[in-house]
Amino acid sequence: MPEDLNWAIGGEAGDGIDSTGKIFAQALSRAGRHVFTSKDFASRIRGGYTAYKIRTSVDRVESVVDSLDVLIALTERTIHENTDELHEGSVIIYDGERTTMQDVEIPEGMVGLDVPLKSLAEDAGGAIMRNVVALGAACEVAEFPIENLDESLEKRFSDKGQAIVENNKKAARLGQEYVAEEFADTDFDYSLETTDNDYVLLNGDEAIGMGAIAAGCRFYAGYPITPATDVMEYLTGRLESFGGKVVQAEDELAAINLALGAARAGARSMTATSGPGIDLMTETFGLVATSETPMVICDVMRSGPSTGMPTKQEQGDLNQMLYGGHGEIPRFVVAPTTVAECFWKTVEAFNYAEKYQTPVFLVADLALAVTEQTFPPETFDMDEVEIDRGKVVDEDHIDGWQNEQGQFQPHFPAADGVSPRAFPGVEGGAHMTTGLEHDALGRRTEDTEVRVEQVDKRQRKVETAREEEEWDYREFGDPDSDNLVLSWGSNEGAMREALEFLDESGTDVRFISVPYLFPRPDLSEEIEAADEVIVVECNATGQFADVVEHDALTRVKRVNKYDGVRFKADELAEAIEEKLAAPAEAHT
Amino acid sequence: MSSDVRFTDFKSDKQPTWCPGCGDFGTMNGMMKALATTGNDPDNTFVVAGIGCSGKIGTYMHSYALHGVHGRALPVGMGVKLANPNLEVMVAGGDGDGYSIGAGHFIHAVRRNVDMSYIVMDNRIYGLTKGQASPTSREDFETSTSPEGPKQPPVNPLALALAAGGTFIAQSFSSDSQRHTEIVKKAIEHDGFGFVNVYSPCVTFNDVDTYDYFRDTIVDLSETDHDPTDYDDAKSAILDADKEYQGVIYQDEGSVPWDEREGLTDSMADIPDGAPEGAMDLVREFY
Repeated sequence: MPEDLNWAIGGEAGDGIDSTGKIFAQALSRAGRHVFTSKDFASRIRGGYTAYKIRTSVDRVESVVDSLDVLIALTERTIHENTDELHEGSVIIYDGERTTMQDVEIPEGMVGLDVPLKSLAEDAGGAIMRNVVALGAACEVAEFPIENLDESLEKRFSDKGQAIVENNKKAARLGQEYVAEEFADTDFDYSLETTDNDYVLLNGDEAIGMGAIAAGCRFYAGYPITPATDVMEYLTGRLESFGGKVVQAEDELAAINLALGAARAGARSMTATSGPGIDLMTETFGLVATSETPMVICDVMRSGPSTGMPTKQEQGDLNQMLYGGHGEIPRFVVAPTTVAECFWKTVEAFNYAEKYQTPVFLVADLALAVTEQTFPPETFDMDEVEIDRGKVVDEDHIDGWQNEQGQFQPHFPAADGVSPRAFPGVEGGAHMTTGLEHDALGRRTEDTEVRVEQVDKRQRKVETAREEEEWDYREFGDPDSDNLVLSWGSNEGAMREALEFLDESGTDVRFISVPYLFPRPDLSEEIEAADEVIVVECNATGQFADVVEHDALTRVKRVNKYDGVRFKADELAEAIEEKLAAPAEAHT
Repeated sequence: MSSDVRFTDFKSDKQPTWCPGCGDFGTMNGMMKALATTGNDPDNTFVVAGIGCSGKIGTYMHSYALHGVHGRALPVGMGVKLANPNLEVMVAGGDGDGYSIGAGHFIHAVRRNVDMSYIVMDNRIYGLTKGQASPTSREDFETSTSPEGPKQPPVNPLALALAAGGTFIAQSFSSDSQRHTEIVKKAIEHDGFGFVNVYSPCVTFNDVDTYDYFRDTIVDLSETDHDPTDYDDAKSAILDADKEYQGVIYQDEGSVPWDEREGLTDSMADIPDGAPEGAMDLVREFY
């Protein structure tokens, strides 16, 4: 019996799809099963097709696949939207009593379970619980112990009172019993085993927020924007309980400037936004860099340009991250490749920011941000978190950084490019900071020598960081293979599973996933050792491929996807095989 | 904080490049005097400025300071104050910086009522870009970009502040040094957002709103029966388009600053060497 299950609930936005999916995902996670979720959603509050998909297995799952075993269809459209993913024996749970669902045609070879979701929910205490009835029905189909669902329902509804919790439990059982009785003769092909494993379930945005708190971030200012808003929602309340403050600013311009002020006052400070917000922040980004203010700026990428497709996946902002802003701006660009890395790379980002006194772009993509994944809790072992605040100067040491007139030199052109920092309030440290070119004291200058000295000083930080830090990468597949695949961001998960498909068809691949985009690991040797190099990314032009070509002075093949949907393991494997078979690409 | 701070301690050794006679000299001197007499010193003071002639102020003063981008000084100031409420935060700007490009932030800074002061050097013209109309320029004021006048009524910053829920709204005249200093001092001492619009004449590009004009027309509210704690009094003064007033126009005595309401009292600069105590609970929330 298959142990893995691909499950989905779909309907209209406003139908409670998200919370229902989350309840089931948590139930699976609590039962010690691995979970990987994905969402199809539209940029509207009510109406429009939306779906929540779960892949679950006793083994780790890293991506989505084009397959659905059980589908809860709250609308007829849900079936049409997912027809391609349904297969022989797929189970579709729907409510045939619903006016719009009465003439539903279940595709041939699939099992339609007509369950009176609404009536059963009313029996349990209210029509609103029809989704929970469906969850109960799904538990029966998948032979998943319904007790696990109870805990999730408690968590979701406990603040609404015990009566509501009990009604929901009853609703789930009515759904389960209905399927058990009415479809007793139907042989469902699933049996979801539970384990004693402990898992937590979270998405990339939440991991970034948690990483920020772990890293000692105390100040966050942001403006709501999909798909970065979850970071702010996560931090709200939680940051305050750790002595910090979340400010919802009037716009992104205010957000980054609030964060800048807090950072100047000595707080670890952060803002998060998505592409359009990054555009608005770009002017101040230059000021942050030239005033040498440590700050983490998180960009959760969505489809662009302009407002593009706010709820769809893309990795189109790399060039903006690497080159955005007028003039030449030293910056770090760190891009986690998994949900767990969203946590750890956020911690690192704060350390880089303060150690080198630069803005650090923390780049995630929508697929990473909204994907929930299970992890053993020790993945986020807080004892492993290290904080490095860099060169902070107190009263006792300030004189070492003053000039002969006793003035503090916040932009002293130190050999490593990193100058001392004195937080406001430190006696003898009063100083000016400005976006104008300045001297060591922070005062405006147009002196040619000082200009060159300060530009060189700021750039030297990057050289120092290149030497001092380990800009490593993650490697999978066959290390001796002549076929090298490179990717960044959320593609890692799909690519890891694609390796299994490729292996089955006899194609060996060495896969490198790169989490540091600037400074970044030198991959020249790895590229030279390979016969074929393919760069996989969710954009049309191959922005990372361009960078790889530039660094290694070679041509690479490209697999690009920019339809708004993340890579799926099976389609990725197919695309890579095609590329390997294709002749070398002309440079366009 | 030391008690023997003099206002000259807030002066840097840089000579201002403002035009001789510029109103900003008087505005700045008043700010420095007010800071010194309210018990502040350069090491606990943070001055933020935007772009324009007013933006140069951080260079001429001595304190912790940031000279930012155009129109965004207020959010920076709020960030500083929220992250360390023990600091004295003063934001300086011009009429272009504050009422044009930064108008949105102005409204929100006023309504947030963070405990800081905001001093606007209002010369009713763009000086540093050599004489274009500003949001407070008169409707018929002829400039290089408005040869027949802007043909739009000027912004009334005091009315904006009142409408946005301002808790301290004042106006001063930079050449009336004593009054100006007193008013800025009251803005600093106010529990909340102390907003002062300062008539700070531009002697080079504005030949209408001159020192003589203000001297002749300004009405000192302390010499009238104006009650700054009376909202209706404040409203009539602010909406009186025919008069130029100086003094505290409105002060809400019940004002509680946002940082205080949020319970912010400590500097956020101190953090532990590792993850904060109890951080593992954050992970357990995801069970």
